[in-house]
Amino acid sequence: MLISLKLDKIFDPSSVAIIGASDEKGTVGFGLVKNLLSGAKKRKVFLVNPFDKEVFGEETYSSIKDIKEKVDLAIIAVPSKIVLQIVKECISKKVSGVIIVSAGFGELGEEGKKREDEIVSYLREAKIPLIGPNCLGIINPRVNFNASFAPISPLKGNIGFLSQSGALLNSLMDSMNEKNIGFSKLVSYGNEADLSLSDFLHYLGEDKDTKVICMYIEGIKNGRGFMDVASEVSKKKPIIVIKSGRSNAGQKAAATHTGSIAGDYEVYATAFKQSGVVLVDTLEELFDSAKSLLMQPKCSNGIGVVTNGGGAGVLTVDYCEAEGVKLVEIKDKDIDQVDKKGTLSVIPAKRNPLDLLGDALPDRYLAGVNAFLSQERVKGLIIIETTQIMTEPLENAKIIIEMKKKYPKKPIVCCFLGGELVSDAIKLLEKNNIPNYPDLKRAVKSIKKLIKDL
Amino acid sequence: MEILSFEETRKLLNKYKVPYCETEIFNFQDKALAFAKKIGFPVVLKIHSRTIFHKSEIGGVRANIKNEDEFIEAWNQINENTKGRNIEGILVQKMLIGKEIAMGMKRDNQFGPVMMFGLGGIFIEVLKDVSFRIAPVNKDEALRMIKEIKGYKILEGYRTGEDINIVKVAEIMVSLSKMSMKEGNIIGMDFNPVIVNEKYAKLADFRIII
Repeated sequence: MLISLKLDKIFDPSSVAIIGASDEKGTVGFGLVKNLLSGAKKRKVFLVNPFDKEVFGEETYSSIKDIKEKVDLAIIAVPSKIVLQIVKECISKKVSGVIIVSAGFGELGEEGKKREDEIVSYLREAKIPLIGPNCLGIINPRVNFNASFAPISPLKGNIGFLSQSGALLNSLMDSMNEKNIGFSKLVSYGNEADLSLSDFLHYLGEDKDTKVICMYIEGIKNGRGFMDVASEVSKKKPIIVIKSGRSNAGQKAAATHTGSIAGDYEVYATAFKQSGVVLVDTLEELFDSAKSLLMQPKCSNGIGVVTNGGGAGVLTVDYCEAEGVKLVEIKDKDIDQVDKKGTLSVIPAKRNPLDLLGDALPDRYLAGVNAFLSQERVKGLIIIETTQIMTEPLENAKIIIEMKKKYPKKPIVCCFLGGELVSDAIKLLEKNNIPNYPDLKRAVKSIKKLIKDL
Repeated sequence: MEILSFEETRKLLNKYKVPYCETEIFNFQDKALAFAKKIGFPVVLKIHSRTIFHKSEIGGVRANIKNEDEFIEAWNQINENTKGRNIEGILVQKMLIGKEIAMGMKRDNQFGPVMMFGLGGIFIEVLKDVSFRIAPVNKDEALRMIKEIKGYKILEGYRTGEDINIVKVAEIMVSLSKMSMKEGNIIGMDFNPVIVNEKYAKLADFRIII
């Protein structure tokens, strides 16, 4: 609890000082200043640079000690050798938190680790939390706060992202902006000299803006502690992780057979599974999963598939089987009982997947989707649309949105296959929180994440 | 890093109530033979050493020894094969009939003891069809571990109808998990094979690494 209160001040400070503020394009100090000055106007930003009187046309301070007002957060971007001295000044200034962006610490080896430990011991004695060192910084899009040297600012949203890699975070923000996916908080946590992944995970668990937590992990410090925190947080909201280091180099020297088979990646995968953390393979799957988990409720295993293309339906069945997604068995009479008007009577065999046939107009989508969702045994639905000459994507999208309102507890995942012809329909669907995937397998894998106990 | 002596291994297994095939260690043939006759043929002979990790590769193991003549021949052969090596003695073990499974533990720097379950013999190395759990493992979790491997159908008696007692297997897993949590000096364990049939499950080969 205490840690959450302390972190609130770091993620939404009233005043920030950048030590190492710079005008020089392409430097870390430049990136930090640019991002912080573009944030919320009510937040005070103090620029500290003992060599330049002005940075970005603003007057600088030669030391944080010269600032008269209170400083909540100090961001340090100076060479590693002088960081300790700066940290001491921050302590005497009584800041509430410190981010050390600078590299040149534990990641370099023994000597760097010693420097890092010394800094941490000073800060811990003063009870000031530290993020980093060797990190990109943090971003809280909800309050227009970008304390990083990222080349871009992300959109507001509900994904909390914790990343051991800063570089990856940069590219992801860029690509997510294009896909209109927003974030609640982003943390590049660096060397975890003080605040660790588990601290941030706990914090995001409590954070009401964060609905789904995504993580990129290389390795974890204190695995058992992480499992305790993750087990608690995963009861409240989904945690999705991508973990690097799958190749088993260095495992050959293991003493036992168990040791040689239980490589690092397998051990991590086991720990994640036992803590309710979903492990994914690719960055694409990470965000595909985040999207379905953000937009749709969870369900038990029993899925229906409605399609206007037979081939697409069969492919989906194949993927479902491979992923352990159970398809509910549906018979003609199940559908006929609901389809009073007989809209679906042209369909020779009403099964799951339900092939509405290529000439399906929106009325057939309405009847088919309704007939499936009204079945008690159908817990969730994949809706596929291939684009034929008579298909009306936008109308179909509207029907799906209406059906979603009628059956709010049953998740719907769409796969409108195509490009330009379906782009407006997809936009409408996603605006209404119905996720669409451009590939059948991705749709199946994404609905799988919604199925409890799978 | 070395293999725990047979005596200490036996003490640990007894302490945690882990069942194993009736086994004794010998340095002299006559006593060994007398023991084999007492427990009844067929028996298995294999060396126990604190430093030899691959005992079958150097000819330190002979299984399915059916009578006194075979016993003497095998005893001499093993002694010949391992001449000059640092061995503690030769184990005489009752040869049990059942399916072979494997259990193990690796102590991970971050997560502590990681328990492993898989099909025994060479399956484990070639197919890597195994399941893992971070200890502690309770009985339900152990049962899930057993059912999780792809080869579970083989254990269930796919097309053979020979069932195995997976509850006994799960109980061993729970005991090994307890042992791993309490005995911090153990860095790894391999029990391959563990013999299991419809009545019981018993360790047949043990390697505890400290």
